[in-house]
Amino acid sequence: MAETEEKKVGKEKKLKRVTKKSLRTMQRTKQHHPIRNQSRIVKYGAKGFGRNIWLSTAATVVMAITLIILFVTVVASVILTSTAEMMKDKIDITIYLKPGLSEQVLSELDTKIKSDSNVKSVEISNSEEEYAKFLAENEGSDEIINILDDEMKALMIAKMQGTMRVKVYDVDDLSSIKKIVEEDEDFKFYVDKEKAPTYDVNQAEIATITSWARIARTGGIILAAVFLVISILIIFSTIRMAIFSRREEIYMMKLVGAEKSFIRGPFLVEAEICGLIAGLIAATVSYFGFEFMAPRLASYGIDVTAITNILESNKLILVYLVFIGLGIIIGRLSARLAVSKYLNKS
Amino acid sequence: MILLDSVTKKYPGDDKPALDSVSLHIEPNEFVFLVGKSGAGKSTLMKMITKEENPDSGKIIIGGIDLDYVKKRHIPGYRRRLGVVFQDFKLLPRRTVYENVAFALEIAGMSGKEIRRTVPKVLELVDLLDQAKKFPHQLSGGQQQRVSIARSVARQPKILIADEPTANLDKLTTQEIIQLLKKINDFGTTILVTTHNENIVNNLQKRVVTMRDGKIISDQKNNGIYKLDGTPTPARVVQMPGHALKRQSAVAGQAPSQTRPQRRKVI
Repeated sequence: MAETEEKKVGKEKKLKRVTKKSLRTMQRTKQHHPIRNQSRIVKYGAKGFGRNIWLSTAATVVMAITLIILFVTVVASVILTSTAEMMKDKIDITIYLKPGLSEQVLSELDTKIKSDSNVKSVEISNSEEEYAKFLAENEGSDEIINILDDEMKALMIAKMQGTMRVKVYDVDDLSSIKKIVEEDEDFKFYVDKEKAPTYDVNQAEIATITSWARIARTGGIILAAVFLVISILIIFSTIRMAIFSRREEIYMMKLVGAEKSFIRGPFLVEAEICGLIAGLIAATVSYFGFEFMAPRLASYGIDVTAITNILESNKLILVYLVFIGLGIIIGRLSARLAVSKYLNKS
Repeated sequence: MILLDSVTKKYPGDDKPALDSVSLHIEPNEFVFLVGKSGAGKSTLMKMITKEENPDSGKIIIGGIDLDYVKKRHIPGYRRRLGVVFQDFKLLPRRTVYENVAFALEIAGMSGKEIRRTVPKVLELVDLLDQAKKFPHQLSGGQQQRVSIARSVARQPKILIADEPTANLDKLTTQEIIQLLKKINDFGTTILVTTHNENIVNNLQKRVVTMRDGKIISDQKNNGIYKLDGTPTPARVVQMPGHALKRQSAVAGQAPSQTRPQRRKVI
């Protein structure tokens, strides 16, 4: 009895040994010829793209459209931000000075205000320059020009205030400039008491533009992120549908003993080809679309230089690469996820 | 070559087990019909062999491999050692006949040169060399099944299992397919065929294993006869004139007589 039991155990052990040996051999043959396998995967991927031309075209078009939408979102955000920045740049603080100040006084005031690190530039015009500006502004108006005889001119220059136009880096924080203008002895003396500096007047405008710029920047990032997610979802759904219609193929390949990587590979290659073509189409359409729109947008005072600089330099190739790269990555990820669903079913 | 020892499988939600303590031993080079009505457990048994399903209990050894040790990662390699033919052919619809057969060799890592040498030979065996560039949908059911057989034998497996290979085919094509399987068996491949077509079983005179309600109810080693109602009948009891005639004709190398008496209708 014990002998029979012993025999049985011996047989079991032998069977286990033989099985494990066979399985090891199978695993080894699986790792053979990776380059040959890869070239077959690429070949069948490319063939699959051609043989499923309708599905491939649909997926490519959807990918191209979503990539274009993504580009439009990013461009809109950049344009809005740079336009807001440009408008902020145009804002200056005007400090009205007493009439008839000497060049030396003006120079001293200039030095003092420039000592503030927030000051970007200062433009000073004395009474005579202000008078010249007045003349230029009223050039067509004969009624005014005709009454300006020498006496009148001298009187006007004497009454004309000099001005300081101060441009700042940060329009949100004018406290340091305010401090100089209100507390410095020279400024207290030379600033016109009756006409207050414009920083209070511009405050509302500054706040509006600042908030616009902030909205443009953060909103643009959020919107681009949202569109990126939507794009991925749309592309994923399209590729998933394409693979869903071919789930039987995946099952068949599994049944005849194909390795997962060998089944998955051609689907990934197909999706990558879709991504590549979609990237090329999207980049080309976006480029020509922007070239067409840019002068029209610029005519409305919208700052498009940030994008124009990229598209009209040798960075254009980089833009193409980004589009193609995005297309390939999104396509590959989507296909991988979609195939895995059917591949992991037993 | 194929050994099942007390294999039991019960699907969740079912009252009865699909396989109830099934034991079966198939020797190398045997040709075995596995017969029984729908729901008898034939397909479940096939799925056990292809490792699509795992048994709840019992042991399965195929070609010296104990399936208990075959893990998920081993399954593709294990399946490549088998030839499998399906009722619905399971051909890759977007690949040509040539590519379908080549696929079986490519997944085994065979070189392009070897594939170019092997595929035409296999297609010649199934008489489809002239259809190599066609897609499955351009072929008839019989031709598709021949492609499926070509794909399964391309790697020269020691075991070929065919799940209802003739279910979707007409009488003439069915005979062609069975003759093809017979030819493959003559080359030394062990063949297990499930069917509920009594004609092919009774004409070929091979071992017949009959299943009912998840159990093997009869195992007739030679000249097995199968009745459509699933009742196993010993060969010596039913001696139909048709069989005798056929055997004689085969010996003489002639076609069977067209005037042979009508076979007794089996209910």
